[in-house]
Amino acid sequence: MISFETVVERALTGQICSEQDFDLEVFVPNLRRMIDKYAIKYDPENPVPADDELADRVWAAAMEFLSDTGVYCADTERIIRFTNDEIEQALKGGPCGVVFGEGKDAKAMPRRLPEDKTPPWCSVGAGGSPVSSEWNLLNLVKAYAENPLGDSITTPSLTNVDGQMIVAGSPLGIEGAIRTTLLSREGLRRAGRPGMPIVNGIASAVRSQEHIAGHRFGFRRTDALEIGTFHEMKVDFDSLNKVAYSLAAGSLIFAENGVILGGLSGGPAGTAVVTAAYNPVDLLILRGAVQHPFPTHFDIGTTSTRDTIWARSLANQAITRNSPVPVVNIGYAGAGPMTKMIFYEYAAWVIGAVVSGGSIEVGGSARGVVVDYTSPVEPLFASEVAHAVAGMSRREANRIVVALLEKYESQLHHPPTGQRYQECFDVFTGTPSKEFIELYRQVRREMTEQFGLKLQHASLYL
Amino acid sequence: MSNESTYEQLSATIIAGDKDTLLATIEDALQEGISPSDIIEMGMHPGMKEIGERFARYEVFLPEMMMAAVAWEGAMKILEPKLSAAGTERRKVGRVVLGTVKDDIHSIGKNIVGGMLKISGFEVFDLGIDVTASAFVAKAEEVDADIIAASALMSTTMPQQKSIIEHLEGRGIRNKYFVLVGGAATTQEWADSINADGYGRTAGDAASLALKVISGKKKGASK
Repeated sequence: MISFETVVERALTGQICSEQDFDLEVFVPNLRRMIDKYAIKYDPENPVPADDELADRVWAAAMEFLSDTGVYCADTERIIRFTNDEIEQALKGGPCGVVFGEGKDAKAMPRRLPEDKTPPWCSVGAGGSPVSSEWNLLNLVKAYAENPLGDSITTPSLTNVDGQMIVAGSPLGIEGAIRTTLLSREGLRRAGRPGMPIVNGIASAVRSQEHIAGHRFGFRRTDALEIGTFHEMKVDFDSLNKVAYSLAAGSLIFAENGVILGGLSGGPAGTAVVTAAYNPVDLLILRGAVQHPFPTHFDIGTTSTRDTIWARSLANQAITRNSPVPVVNIGYAGAGPMTKMIFYEYAAWVIGAVVSGGSIEVGGSARGVVVDYTSPVEPLFASEVAHAVAGMSRREANRIVVALLEKYESQLHHPPTGQRYQECFDVFTGTPSKEFIELYRQVRREMTEQFGLKLQHASLYL
Repeated sequence: MSNESTYEQLSATIIAGDKDTLLATIEDALQEGISPSDIIEMGMHPGMKEIGERFARYEVFLPEMMMAAVAWEGAMKILEPKLSAAGTERRKVGRVVLGTVKDDIHSIGKNIVGGMLKISGFEVFDLGIDVTASAFVAKAEEVDADIIAASALMSTTMPQQKSIIEHLEGRGIRNKYFVLVGGAATTQEWADSINADGYGRTAGDAASLALKVISGKKKGASK
C-alpha cells in the first residue's frame, strides 16, 4: 500500500479544484454515471436485499467511482487521486484479525461475510451521545461494560467541565478529552473489565489536539481513535493530523464514514455506492483497522429509516464480499430510552447490518444529540439481537425488518424522546427502573414470539 | 415557440439544474421579446418551487437543489441588470448570512438550508464551514442582512452559536438581525437559552422559519 506520506504529498500537490466544482462537476456526475452504468436501484420492498450480483455491482461501481473521483482535501483545495492498482494493493494488504483490547478482554476483530455464523463484534455504549455530568459518564461506562456480549466500549460525550460548556478547540476541549479518557478507564475498571478497548476515542474531542490530549492520558495502542472523512469524500488537515498522530503513537483507528442520505450522494443507491467507496479510502487515507459507517437520513437524523437500512445492508454486502476490511456499523435511533420504539429501531438496522456481514456499535439514542437520553439497556438489547441473527438468511432478516419497520416507521418524524438516564435508572445502584425492566422484558418476548429470535440471557437486569 | 412552452422549458431546465441550457433558453426568450420579469416569475420561479416540493417529498436531494440554485444564480447575473435598467427589480424576501460555526466542518444540513432559502426567494450569503462569530457579524453588517443563520452539529460547537449573539450584543447591534440556529445537536430549549430568534429542527424547517420571523419585522427598525 502506498505510504501515508505519499497521501499527504498528494494532498499538497494534487489537482486544484474549488469545493463547489468538486461537489457538482466531479462527485455528483461521476456518481450518477456509476448508478446508471451498474443499474443500481432502490427497492423499498426489500430493505435487506439478498442479491449477491447486485452487491457486487455496487462494489464495482464504488471502485470505479473512487478512481474517477478521488478524495478532496479542503485545506489545500486539491484532489487526492488513487490509481486502480493502488486501490487493489491496499485492499490486498488490508487488516486481518487485528486484536483490540488487553488481557482477558483482548479479542480479534472478525471479518464477517453475509449470512455468516461468526458472532458479530458488539461495541456497546453511547456512540458519543452527550451527558451532563462526569458521574453519569462514569456510571454509564461501567454499566455498558457489564454487558457480557460487549466487545468494546463507545463512550458518551462529556458536555461540560466543572459546569462550563466544553467549547471545541478551546482548553476546555482539551480538559474534556482528558477527563473522558480517565473516567472511561475508571468505569471499565469498576466493571471488572480494565482491558476492554475504547473504540470511539475521544468522544468529546473535535480537533486533533483534543484527540492527542485525551490519548496521552490513558489511551492504549489496542484502543482506537475514531477518525472520519466528511461529506462527501473529503478530508482536511485536522483529520490527516489525527491519522499522523495515531500512526506515530502506534494506535488503532476506527475509520468513520457517515454518508448523508439526501446529501451529495443523493438517494439510497448513491448512498450505498459512496459508503462502499469509502472502504479503500479508510485504508489509504485514514489507515483504519475497521470501517465504521453510518449512513444517516438527512431529514430524520437516524440510521433506522427504510432507505438507510437498505443502503447500509447493500453496502455491507458489497464491502464484505470484496474487501478484507471489517465493518463495524454504528447506528442512531430517533426514539429515546424507555420507549418501545427505540428497541424496534435498533433491532431493524442491527439485523440488516449483521446478516449483511457487518458488526455493530450501539449506539446513539434520541439521534445521539439530546443530553442524557441514553441508557445501558439499548446496547444490551442490540447485542442480544445481533448474536441471535448471526447466520440468519437475508430473506428471513428482510421479513423481520419489514415487520419491525411497520411498528415504528410512521413515528420517525416525531419519535418519543422517552426518559433521561437519571429518570429511567437508579444512577447510584446502576439498575433500571422496574418499568424499564418490564418494557425490556416485553420487547424481548415480542422478538421471540413474533420473530423466533432466541435472545441470549445476557442481561444483568432479568 | 409560444410563451407558454418557453416558460415550461425554463422551468424544466431549472429542475434539471442545466445552467448552460438555461442561459441559452433565456437568450432565446429575450430575443422573442419576453420580459426578464416574466422569464423569472413565469418560467424559472415555478421550476425552483417544484424543486422545493420534490425535495420535501424526498424525490430529489441536495445535488438537484444545489444545481438548480447554481443555474438560477447564473441566470440572475444576466437578468438582474436588465431588471434594474427597466426599473423592475425583483423584490428579495430578505438577506441571510449562513454558515456552520467555528470548529464545525459539517456542511450538508447548512447547504440544504441554503438551497431552501434560495428557493423561497432569499438572497443567501453562504460563508461555508468553520466560521467565526465575528465573521458572521462582519458579513451581516457588510451586506445589510436581515437574518444570521448558524448551524452546529456537535454539543461542543453549539456554544459558538451563543457567541454570535454575544458578539452582536457586544457591538450594540443585536436588534438589527434575526439569529436563527439549527443543526443536529441543537434543540428549542438551547435556542431559547441563548435568546436566538428561531430554531429549525431540520434543514427543511429553515425556509418556513426564516419567512415567519421576517414577516414579523420586529428587528431592524430601519429596514
